[in-house]
Amino acid sequence: MLEFKRDHWKGYMYLLPALVFMAIFTFYPIIKTFITAFLEGYSIYGDSRFKLGLGNFIYVFKDKLFWRALGNTALMVIVSVPVSVIIALLISVALNSIKKLQGFFQTVFFLPYVTNTIALGLVFSVLFSNNGLINAIIEWFGGTPRAWITNWQGQGAVPGYDTVTYWRGIFVISMYTIWNSLAFKILVFLSGLQSIDKQYYQAAQIDATPRWRVFTKITVPLLSPMIAYVTITSFIGAFKAYTSVIAIYGETFGPPGQETENMYITIVGYIYQKLHHSRGADLFSVAAAASLILFGIILLITLVQLQVSKKRVHY
Amino acid sequence: MDSNQKQITKNVTSPDDVKVTQNNNSSSNHPGVEVRLQNITKRFVDKKGNVTVAVDDFSVVIPAGKLIGLLGPSGCGKSTTLYLIAGLHKPNAGRIYFGNEDVTDLPPEKRGIGIVFQNYALFPHLTVRQNIMFPLENMKVPKKEALQRAQEMAELVHIGDLMDRKPSQLSGGQQQRVAIARALVKKPKVLLLDEPLSNLDARLRLQTREEIRRIQRETGITTIFVTHDQEEAMSISDEIIVMDRGVKQQLDHPQKVYDEPVNLFVAKFLGNPPINVIEGYVENKQLKTVTGKVIQNLDVEDQEVQIGLRAEFFMISKNGGIDAEVEIVEHIGRDTMIICRIDGYEKTIRAIVPSDINLQIGQQVKLGYNKIFVFDKTGARLL
Repeated sequence: MLEFKRDHWKGYMYLLPALVFMAIFTFYPIIKTFITAFLEGYSIYGDSRFKLGLGNFIYVFKDKLFWRALGNTALMVIVSVPVSVIIALLISVALNSIKKLQGFFQTVFFLPYVTNTIALGLVFSVLFSNNGLINAIIEWFGGTPRAWITNWQGQGAVPGYDTVTYWRGIFVISMYTIWNSLAFKILVFLSGLQSIDKQYYQAAQIDATPRWRVFTKITVPLLSPMIAYVTITSFIGAFKAYTSVIAIYGETFGPPGQETENMYITIVGYIYQKLHHSRGADLFSVAAAASLILFGIILLITLVQLQVSKKRVHY
Repeated sequence: MDSNQKQITKNVTSPDDVKVTQNNNSSSNHPGVEVRLQNITKRFVDKKGNVTVAVDDFSVVIPAGKLIGLLGPSGCGKSTTLYLIAGLHKPNAGRIYFGNEDVTDLPPEKRGIGIVFQNYALFPHLTVRQNIMFPLENMKVPKKEALQRAQEMAELVHIGDLMDRKPSQLSGGQQQRVAIARALVKKPKVLLLDEPLSNLDARLRLQTREEIRRIQRETGITTIFVTHDQEEAMSISDEIIVMDRGVKQQLDHPQKVYDEPVNLFVAKFLGNPPINVIEGYVENKQLKTVTGKVIQNLDVEDQEVQIGLRAEFFMISKNGGIDAEVEIVEHIGRDTMIICRIDGYEKTIRAIVPSDINLQIGQQVKLGYNKIFVFDKTGARLL
């Protein structure tokens, strides 16, 4: 019994360093954010003329920029998450079924994961630039090259100039997000696939199961815990989208020019701006309020997903 | 709660038996098929290039509609042989026939086989009904007919009342029945069972092997099952095939294999307690023990031999026989097992004697025998 108690004590001691850092860098900021969000007239400079209230939330909900950020983020989530999960699933199943060069392709698909996201963004902005590879390919196939990221004036543009549209930008950002997030998903799916007992497939083969049925009736259900995990985490990740836009457009969150500034701002981008441009003292607490709203949205969606996966996932 | 469940199960199974007999009549329209393996060889090459010959020039004819046990120690190639018949492995040489049809180059799904894997491979996310119907859905059997056939099969294996459960809610024995039902529902020509009883506890094993026997009799499907358990193979097989190191040792009725093993391996592999093997030699057509005591005449050339004596071959006799000293006496109910040492041998031997004979430790006895096996140096049977 005594031994037991001593072990407990030891266990906490081992946890202590991690707990100290968590307390400073995670728990304290969470609590502070929570409190700050409800303080009106808050200043980081210690000005104490503030009162409790919902003013910051009202500010956020009245801010058109916030609604734009929410719309952008939701759109990116709805496009990139399902598409990337499905593509990752198909690629992992294909990877799992080949024998030769499996290791090579695994490395190829994993490379984006270890590549710097800003560097990847630069690659995308070069690919989709006016005289970039994508336009070259479109032209080669007889299509009309388009302005994807920046407005296009002068040589090559049809008919002399082309301006960016909202959906083209969304397309580029979604492509980037999907590409960037594939690696990790493939990694998780592959390890999941490799842990499925081969005898299920042998049993299916003996019963002359068509390939598509093997995929939908055996692979997907047996992989469903992994699929649920990946879907939930990528929903959370996608709602926190921010680097994708920065990497392609920079801190303007949109194509150059005053009119297009903040065209693709996301919720985290909004929070970032409120922190960064906090000329007035009150914007700091606005950022905190926006963070809480984002937290609420993610929490809600995750809870819904957990409920759905309870019915659909076979553990 | 759990005992209530069992009670219900018992009540429901009795009307099932009626249906089974009906099923019995219809089963005669898909009788089993003869399975013929001709000089089958299967080699595996690992990453380092090492070659393992799992099955070596294996030829066997498995008669139609019989239950055949494929018996051997682990690693003897019996499971490989089963997978070759299933088509999950391709032989490096030789042909496989189902009846007159050469199936060697047919993929598994075109061979018309049902297989029960060692761990059953039931789909965990599907109910019992969905599992049994799975092969029928692949064959595009109309749903109504598929449901009916699944129910019939489930009742044949006595799980008709568990159709809506998931495999995880079943006991090992019930899971095994589901696996058998799934294998049988598409009316295969050949049923293959890979170590079907190894995941069950001893009591259930006894029950289930009789179940397999009954199902096989009722359906008449040629059934091949792999096992390393000699008792299991002996008890339910029409014939058994004993394998060792990829080579067929013997194919015969279980009792025949036990009574007349063709070689030392088969003699040693079958029988519990294991057969006693002692060295001896033949000199001037006389079989002698190492001490030179003549056992009997044997018309072969002079050579060193191995003498096999099953424990039940012995009897305590007053005149003649081998001199032995009793070391241990074990009462095993009906009989008594004695472990004794015979003149000139390090090894002790086991003998089963009637329990009414009173024996003391250290007592000198004369052991008579009613039968012996004699094997040459290579293990081939001489007598």
